[in-house]
Amino acid sequence: MSELTGVIHDIGYQRYTGPRLGRRHVFGALYLHGVRTAFGLGRSAKAKIFPWLVVAIVLVVAAGLTAVRAQFGEVVMTYAQFADAMSWLVIFFVAVAAPELVSRDLRSGVLPLYFSRPLPRGDYALAKLGALATALWLLLGAPQLVMFLGAAFTTGDGMSGVWHELLDLLPGLLYAALWAVVFASIGLLIASLTGKRAFAAGGIVAIFLMTTPVVGVLSIMPSPTINELAFLASPSTLVGAVGTWALGDLLVPEGQGGGMPIGDFGPVYAAAVVLLVAGCVTLLLLRYRKVAAR
Amino acid sequence: MSTVGWITARGLFGRRRFLILLPLPLLLVGLAVLCRSLNVAPSDWGPAVLVGLGLAVVLPVVALVVGTGVLGAEIEDGTVVHILTKPLPRWQIVLPKLAVATAVSAATVAVPLFVAGLLADSVRLGLALAAASALGALAYSALFLALSLLTRRPVLLGLVYVLIWEGLLGRFADGTRVLSIQQWVIALADRMAPTDLLGTTVSVPVAAILTGLVAVGFTVLAIDRLRSFSVAGETS
Repeated sequence: MSELTGVIHDIGYQRYTGPRLGRRHVFGALYLHGVRTAFGLGRSAKAKIFPWLVVAIVLVVAAGLTAVRAQFGEVVMTYAQFADAMSWLVIFFVAVAAPELVSRDLRSGVLPLYFSRPLPRGDYALAKLGALATALWLLLGAPQLVMFLGAAFTTGDGMSGVWHELLDLLPGLLYAALWAVVFASIGLLIASLTGKRAFAAGGIVAIFLMTTPVVGVLSIMPSPTINELAFLASPSTLVGAVGTWALGDLLVPEGQGGGMPIGDFGPVYAAAVVLLVAGCVTLLLLRYRKVAAR
Repeated sequence: MSTVGWITARGLFGRRRFLILLPLPLLLVGLAVLCRSLNVAPSDWGPAVLVGLGLAVVLPVVALVVGTGVLGAEIEDGTVVHILTKPLPRWQIVLPKLAVATAVSAATVAVPLFVAGLLADSVRLGLALAAASALGALAYSALFLALSLLTRRPVLLGLVYVLIWEGLLGRFADGTRVLSIQQWVIALADRMAPTDLLGTTVSVPVAAILTGLVAVGFTVLAIDRLRSFSVAGETS
């Protein structure tokens, strides 16, 4: 047996000695990555098709409404009614974005990698939730901004006209935020249950669509109380009812017959929204307390 | 039933996720029973439950999940090569899978629709709805099966059709209804049992011919696509 001559070469590996960014930065990075993922930014062209299809449709509709208003001076839809009219597209966008955000991580088994970093479990879920809510708010807010700009530049009353228009826009954006939070929390919870994106998308659409006819049936029951509480049954009408109660005339001007016949149950609806969102977030956090390695 | 059919059926029922299909039919029956027991007039709740929930939501969503699942699931996890490398003509792969998809979605949708139609009007309406929804399940299944071979994201593309084409455009632009499977099903059911509960602008012969065309056309397309099918990884 010959003499051992092996040596260990120093090929320059070094420990990292730079600054270590804290929890806030991890959260921020995950959040920003989530928002970009929702729109397919930084990904292949195929991943951009569906998000940008939805964005294109809402922007075209907004541009059309603006053009009608500029040409004929007729307000087809207020800012809040725009959010209501786009509800099916919002559902579709959730069905596209939510599985991209959480189901892919489940399927490719990278969650143990995430959680081996100094990242609390809750932060992962909350960052994804925040990203989806932001993406939805941008989806609803951007067309409203287009409508606002169109109205502001064609107003005949100078600055006061612009100011009035801005006062109309702000409740609309607030209402869009309510939409975003409710739909994001429900959609992300459903998507986090399965690693198959296709199945998550189907489940989200099924949950949102199957609740709408329930409202229709409940609102023709032979009892005024049930009729006024019927809008609790579906997320989209629930959001509409809370908007009617909280923002009221700010959303739909008088004389348009807008708003929902919710009677005196406004606070019940507000409590229901808070409970719904809180429940979904709690379940989401519970969901990520323990994740399978594969 | 061929071996391919058995494998497909076991693949569908053997997984826990099939259970998410159950709430939809149960909700349909539950609402119909609730309305009937409270003596609400059928003309009030009929359209909302039968068309709004049954034909516009339950039928397309069930057919979408099942129709893209029978072949799409195997393509996604790559096990489709095991079937493709067997010395089977392609039609012997596509047709059993289509049959299983149609049978499962038709059974899931037709039974609750029969019950709802029975409670709304008569046995005849129930049978008409069941038969029409079975035909609709065939057309939807053929469409979604072909989609799962044409694109890597069949569910999302199918949702575009169901939500945006049939849902959004069907409400605002009447012309698109001619090319909507949902409207054909309504037309066929209304022809088999004329009532006030169902109504559409599409004529019955057009609906019947187009349903047949879609069912046959997309099946042929699927068989043709499977002839030169390239197995690739998951989309990015």
